[in-house]
Amino acid sequence: MQVFLQSVVSGVLVGGVYALIGIGLTLIFGVMRVINFAHGELLMVGMYLTYYVFTLLGIDPFVSIVIVIPVMFLFGVLLQRVLIQRVLDALPQNQILLTIGLGLILSNTVMLVFTSDYKILSTSYSSGSVMLGGISVSQPLFVSFFITAVITGALYLFLLETDVGQAIRATAQDREAAQLMGVNVRRMGLLAFGLGSALAGTAGALVSPTYYIFPQVGSAFTLKAFVIVVLGGMGSIIGATLGGIIIGTVESLAASYVSSGLKELFVYVLFLFVLLVKPSGLLGKSRM
Amino acid sequence: MRSLPVLLLAAVAIGLFAFPAFVESPYALHVMILLFLAVVQGEAWNVLGGYTGQYSVGHAAWFGVGAYTTMMLMQYEHVAPWWGVWPALALAVVAALVVGSITFRLRGPYFVLASIAVAEIFRLVALNWKDVTNGAEGILTSDLPPLVVGGHTITDFVSKVPFYYAGLVLAFITIAVNWGVQHSKLGYYFQAIREDQDAAHSLGIPLTFYKNVALAISAFFTAWSGAFYALYVGFIDPGTVLTTEVSVQFVLICIIGGIGTIGGPVVGALVLVPLSEALRANLLSDLVFKLRLVDESSRTGLFLKDNLAHAHALIYGILVVIVILFMPEGVLGWVRGGLARRRRGAAGGAAEGAAS
Repeated sequence: MQVFLQSVVSGVLVGGVYALIGIGLTLIFGVMRVINFAHGELLMVGMYLTYYVFTLLGIDPFVSIVIVIPVMFLFGVLLQRVLIQRVLDALPQNQILLTIGLGLILSNTVMLVFTSDYKILSTSYSSGSVMLGGISVSQPLFVSFFITAVITGALYLFLLETDVGQAIRATAQDREAAQLMGVNVRRMGLLAFGLGSALAGTAGALVSPTYYIFPQVGSAFTLKAFVIVVLGGMGSIIGATLGGIIIGTVESLAASYVSSGLKELFVYVLFLFVLLVKPSGLLGKSRM
Repeated sequence: MRSLPVLLLAAVAIGLFAFPAFVESPYALHVMILLFLAVVQGEAWNVLGGYTGQYSVGHAAWFGVGAYTTMMLMQYEHVAPWWGVWPALALAVVAALVVGSITFRLRGPYFVLASIAVAEIFRLVALNWKDVTNGAEGILTSDLPPLVVGGHTITDFVSKVPFYYAGLVLAFITIAVNWGVQHSKLGYYFQAIREDQDAAHSLGIPLTFYKNVALAISAFFTAWSGAFYALYVGFIDPGTVLTTEVSVQFVLICIIGGIGTIGGPVVGALVLVPLSEALRANLLSDLVFKLRLVDESSRTGLFLKDNLAHAHALIYGILVVIVILFMPEGVLGWVRGGLARRRRGAAGGAAEGAAS
């Protein structure tokens, strides 16, 4: 029972960060109907940014998000402006290929500049743990979950309460109707991709104390982000939050009860199962 | 005039068959073999992705099944590869049909995602089922057994020449299959599905059945290229034959050349293989130094020399972005479009001249 509770708790904590990745992807998909295959690579860029901010400036990875968020937001806006915007009316497969190409460019540029060596960001608390009602919880995970919760909450408030947030949601609901109501959908696209990459970068910063940092780390996260988003329902932000936590828990349980090498296998099998049984996801409307 | 392409094709074929008689350099043969392999991979993917419009980004699964089954039969059961390849192909087709009948219910981006997930499942199984696949260590082959027919040793597979001919024949077979698909009723079904699934369905084309037929053909040849790759390179592991990068490369060959055409994958292979070989052999950085763009002993020069050899994936990425943004029909479609515009321009000019 102790092991079960332990795995569920750490699964939920990891799931919080996963949710952040998923929300970014689903936001981009919702507003532009573009599936961003370079999402994990954006996370990887966030990891490297955090690593160098930490080693060169000595800024703690959890504090560094105040740098990572604006930098990644601007980077996302730039990518949207230069690349993604040009294919919004193209065939979906061409959009997918463009983002795959973008992912290759990002990971290989990082590899050329920083080599493919594994980097480890070790802080004083990297292996620390806190006790939570008799269950010991990894300290960096605990802090990152807290930050995730704050950011997700702020994002909900932004999307629900502000005019810009409503405009983003209107664009996601119906692009043409939003345009007719005077919403600048091009700007919403820039905003969505900027926010999406800022969220991916933040997730990268939050996981950097607990993961190896290397140029190819992104692709695993890209696939995981899809699983999360499809599970929750493409375009649904609450769905992505829920999906992230479910995937985190499934992974953590599979790692404790089966084998940590096979935890991803469970995730992909679950993914296929969801795709087949309810392709619109837990909270999505059917768009098949 | 109409027989010109046929004559040209025959000349190319004869030239390719005679090539090893005139060129002895193992490196030249190696590049040609890689080229044939890329043509087979591209044409194989083209049947499903190009004609039928089902963008699988998980073809590494079939490549891996072909490579692993052939290698395992040879290493553990001592089955000669020219027999072992057939069960490997059969296994790939059966596996593809099982996967296809499940995933073809999905459309568009959902199908793409499912195909990636399937290939990842194959990779994780190969990585973790250590008793059978040797896990991350992979399988290294000792020498291939000599091919003996009727008491005569035809080849002992020491030089690259037998691989050259095997690759060439395989490339011609896949091109012929693509031609056959394009010019048969099957091809029309496939293209109808690509253009509008619902319309095709309402005309009485059973979607899942014909998508599965396309997948079976595609998986068959992808697995064959996998078996060929495994035997030629002599080493496979999950990291080289079952990753998403491998799947992406198949797609790239088609996209860069021109999707849904017979010539497209050939053009794609002709662009990608020499490019990545030139990078690997440092030809590109040498060129940069020769043109005096960068001084060889400067810091940038040393950096380029050290790193450009590993940059082929970066160049692939840049190529894809350029192709998608500026020539979405691929290099072949772009050239054709350019020619058509010029011809129309010339015809328009001639008509105007006649009118005045």
